[in-house]
Amino acid sequence: MPAGLTTNVLSDGIKRIVAKLEASADELNALDASLGDGDLGVTMVRGGRSVLAELPNLPDDVGMALLMCAQALTRLSGSTYGTLLATGLMSAAKSTKGRHEVPWSEMSSLVGNAIGAMSQRGGGKLGDKTVLDALDSVRVATDGLDDPAALAAAANEAVAGALERFREQPSRQGRARIFAEKSVGKDDPGMVAFKRITEALK
Amino acid sequence: MKKILNDPFAYVDEMLEGLCLAHPEYYRRLGPEGRVIARAGGPVKGKVGIVSGGGSGHLPVFTGYVGKGLLDACAIGEVFSSPSAEQMAEAMRAANGGAGVLRLYGNYGGDNMNFDMAGEMLEMEGIESTTVRVADDIASAPPEARAKRRGVAGLVYAYKLAGAKAESMATLGQVTAVAQKAVDACRSIGVALTPCTVPSVGRPTFSLSDDEMEIGMGIHGEPGVQRGPLRPADVITDEMVRRLLSDMPLKDGDRISLLVNSLGATPHEELYIAYRQVSKRLMEVGAEIVMPLVGRYATSMEMAGMSVTFCKMDEELEPLLKAPCDCPFLRI
Repeated sequence: MPAGLTTNVLSDGIKRIVAKLEASADELNALDASLGDGDLGVTMVRGGRSVLAELPNLPDDVGMALLMCAQALTRLSGSTYGTLLATGLMSAAKSTKGRHEVPWSEMSSLVGNAIGAMSQRGGGKLGDKTVLDALDSVRVATDGLDDPAALAAAANEAVAGALERFREQPSRQGRARIFAEKSVGKDDPGMVAFKRITEALK
Repeated sequence: MKKILNDPFAYVDEMLEGLCLAHPEYYRRLGPEGRVIARAGGPVKGKVGIVSGGGSGHLPVFTGYVGKGLLDACAIGEVFSSPSAEQMAEAMRAANGGAGVLRLYGNYGGDNMNFDMAGEMLEMEGIESTTVRVADDIASAPPEARAKRRGVAGLVYAYKLAGAKAESMATLGQVTAVAQKAVDACRSIGVALTPCTVPSVGRPTFSLSDDEMEIGMGIHGEPGVQRGPLRPADVITDEMVRRLLSDMPLKDGDRISLLVNSLGATPHEELYIAYRQVSKRLMEVGAEIVMPLVGRYATSMEMAGMSVTFCKMDEELEPLLKAPCDCPFLRI
């Protein structure tokens, strides 16, 4: 077992994530339909399959591998959520470029950088009830951890906590903002999609 | 839904297939999904490339304007949906003649995000690029927040003026400056009479009763500024001109080009009825009209209604407006 994130570990994680997203597609579509255009599940599955197809070509350079994943994710769809996730991956790609192994202890700061890049690109802020809030909980919960199993468990628990905290709040960003009142009491679809991602890594 | 189509989900691909079959001397289709249209002859060596892109449903915007003196390449999304960042990056590669690429497109959240992402990708590949967002719809934000306005028919002027500048083998900085100047010189406003239907959705994007109109409605059915009973052509036109002039006052001797544009269903006849009134009002303020455009230039599929765009000329812009250009939808 490597002491950090390698391209092999990344590929294995992506396979598990995409399998989980396939199983969650209907749930995500339905959630999204009540607050947006109802295609989040489809978009995630299409993006995930596009990344899967790229796995055999990923180089050992973790940064370049992450860059190729980001490009594959944005190949087919211009959906806001997919582009935001790809923006986060690109930010991680820049910080890890040229390295074949990235220590697990860096994950929290990579997540922090990703939040900054995603916030700048999409104009969303912490507290808006978006995937950024889920990521920020992960950043806090994983700070100082350097074991992959502990990281995954902490991340999963952190996203569950974020969902719980924001459930009764209105959305302040994206299409769901237009339905701010309606969004109270409902989970943000992007946060739920991210929950499924962390569950896959447990 | 009453449309001439086969599979609603093949709407965009079949449209692009037909477009390229009809005009092979202008267009070629690129990319793994065929969602990039580039000039048939390939990029022009040493010329700044200009790319645009956005959702389908607005022909001739965006794709139609690929041609000499206009765009070099364009990324095409589903109806009213942004193309992907990778498709935009593909368009930029196809437009790159070695002198850098200008991303010139309408100001919409999804397109902004994806074009920024595409720019970042190209930067990592060593291709220099700049961005100018067209934001001419005066109904979508007040003058003090002009950068937040949506891009509508003013796109046509931005393409024409920046395209002519690029054709003169100007630098990326110069082409970008002209594109921004063109955007700053443009003001548009629309009026909608009936909605349109996105094929894959199958129902109209909004509803207006038979005797209603809405001034300021966006080209995707975004809410406008004034909904009310349908009025005579001169009354509608006067109201639109009044709003345009209060946003960009004109004085005696100003030279402006204007575009009276059909949103899709409104015929040329009605556009000329409106043009007559716009030109009267401009004559009253003493402004001189340069090379007016009347027709279908930026549409919203079968939406009935029109938009009026003013583009204020100066000694730099006017020769660029009159410079040659050639695509199936605009020839000068």
